Amino acid sequence: MKSGVMRIVMSAVVVMLVVGASGCKKKPKAGVTGGVGSDTIPLTPLGEIGYGEVAERGEFGEPITDVSFENVAFAYDSFTLASSEHPKIEAVADYLLANEGTTVVVDGHCDERGSRDYNLSLGEHRAMAVRAYMISLGVAEDRINTRSFGAEQPLDAEHNEAAWVKNRRAEFSLFRK
Amino acid sequence: MKQTTVLGIWWSTAGAFLLLLLGGVGVHAQDITIVGAGTGDKISIATAGVNVGASTAERQFLQILQTDLKRSGWFTLGAAGASVIELQGNTQVNGSTLEVKCEVLNRATRKSYFARVFREAAAQPQLVAHKLADAIVEAVKGVPGIASTRIALVGSREGKKDLYLIGSDGGGLVQATRDGVPCLSPAWSPDARNIFYTSFLRKFPDVYRIDLGSGNRTRVSGYPGINSGAQVSPDGRHLALILSKDGNPEVYTQDLGSGRVTRITQTKHAAEASPVWSPDGQQLAYVSDVTGAPHIYIINRAGGSPTRITLQGSENVSPSWARDGRLAYSSRRGGRYQICIYDPKTRADRQVTKVSSDHQTPSWAPNSRHLVYARTDSYISCLYILDTEDDSQVKLTTSKGDWYFPAWSPR
Repeated sequence: MKSGVMRIVMSAVVVMLVVGASGCKKKPKAGVTGGVGSDTIPLTPLGEIGYGEVAERGEFGEPITDVSFENVAFAYDSFTLASSEHPKIEAVADYLLANEGTTVVVDGHCDERGSRDYNLSLGEHRAMAVRAYMISLGVAEDRINTRSFGAEQPLDAEHNEAAWVKNRRAEFSLFRK
Repeated sequence: MKQTTVLGIWWSTAGAFLLLLLGGVGVHAQDITIVGAGTGDKISIATAGVNVGASTAERQFLQILQTDLKRSGWFTLGAAGASVIELQGNTQVNGSTLEVKCEVLNRATRKSYFARVFREAAAQPQLVAHKLADAIVEAVKGVPGIASTRIALVGSREGKKDLYLIGSDGGGLVQATRDGVPCLSPAWSPDARNIFYTSFLRKFPDVYRIDLGSGNRTRVSGYPGINSGAQVSPDGRHLALILSKDGNPEVYTQDLGSGRVTRITQTKHAAEASPVWSPDGQQLAYVSDVTGAPHIYIINRAGGSPTRITLQGSENVSPSWARDGRLAYSSRRGGRYQICIYDPKTRADRQVTKVSSDHQTPSWAPNSRHLVYARTDSYISCLYILDTEDDSQVKLTTSKGDWYFPAWSPR
């Protein structure tokens, strides 16, 4: 088993994550109904399939620090985008559409309650709900990546409702190629 | 990549070697030969027939052996001449080696279960004690012992998270990684030589394998999105894990030889988590929030229609599948997470923890009798071991810090 995996890993083709890669065609936006309940999750693949020692993820270019965007809030155990959160996402989409060569990583976070392993999946679902809404606004899918931190990186380490509200969030990190 | 350091590797290798030897002996006497089994269902055992020398190592050996026999759950310590099982033998220290000669006998029938010599470093008398205790459990009860097993766990100390290993008796805590980044869901390979786990080592949640023999760490799944919750199949050839590369968190299997991944669940409006293999490797249990809250489902390993198995509790998460077929999981009941056990054969469901704390991430011991889980009190998380025969619980972690995600080694 071990030697087989090692062989595969060592011979793995290095596949670039397609962030901002040129020549990618947009897929049709049909069926994307951003922001409404659980229908916000179209099956939009995140990029080329890699295996093992693929190109370093997280190397998306130069971090953009001269703009900042508000975090998107979520209800407990939910990945539904409330209409109050739409303008926050639209602001990011507007920026991406106005600035060629920029990309975003959407980080999904959960509060500390519940199982940490389930929270990792829930955080990804939150980030993907935000991504789906941005795609519906016309941002190319290969400019939006997701990352879940689950409950691992709370903004507020306190153990109360006020902290939990802050910690259930999606954050935006922008990059310039 | 930072260097991975795993201490005490020889310990685990030596343990695996001994179990191989034991397997070859072919002693599988069952407890049907036992009459007058002492207190309750426990079998009385007398250690007085072992002539123990005066050195510290020898005295510690006997103490640890007695503790191990009690912790196994199968035995009570009894007086010589009045116990069902008797030990006879002696100990001696030769240079740096502690040697224990021991015969295990049924006192009434004089049937000998085994007579063997154990040798280990005198500086670590627990090694001989654990091996003898496990050999006794295996010979008398026909089930794997747990004294030599270890538990992988995630520790958070001063805000830095890393992977650790601890003996199932709470001793021998070692730090396996020195990354200080979030890590989750350790899982053992069936041969106990590798640990798979999720780490943010490269800023994203990827699945890594640590080879405990060499200390080498390899990323085995690094797709876009999440790569998490990897569990090795009983034949050691596949992983079950969560990937979101196709646009949604789903359960996949990955062939460890070819690297090929196969999607198992198809729930585009739900997130999945925490897949575990059935003992025969033909099914997977996992968590899905397809109803709006997380519950546990079982699906054929090739996919198909899942069956929901948890109907009580507002949330049901973190399944662990025992070798005897029972599932332990964490169920939110009355606002708290409690450990429950579900038997797919009888569909019986039993809540085994009761106090008003959060009890999470159960992991079965290889004996299908004991569980280790994380219990949170006042926002501090510690590990406890629970004996499912009487639901008694013992605290495992005493060091400062938060301890969670226990994974009991398969041997």
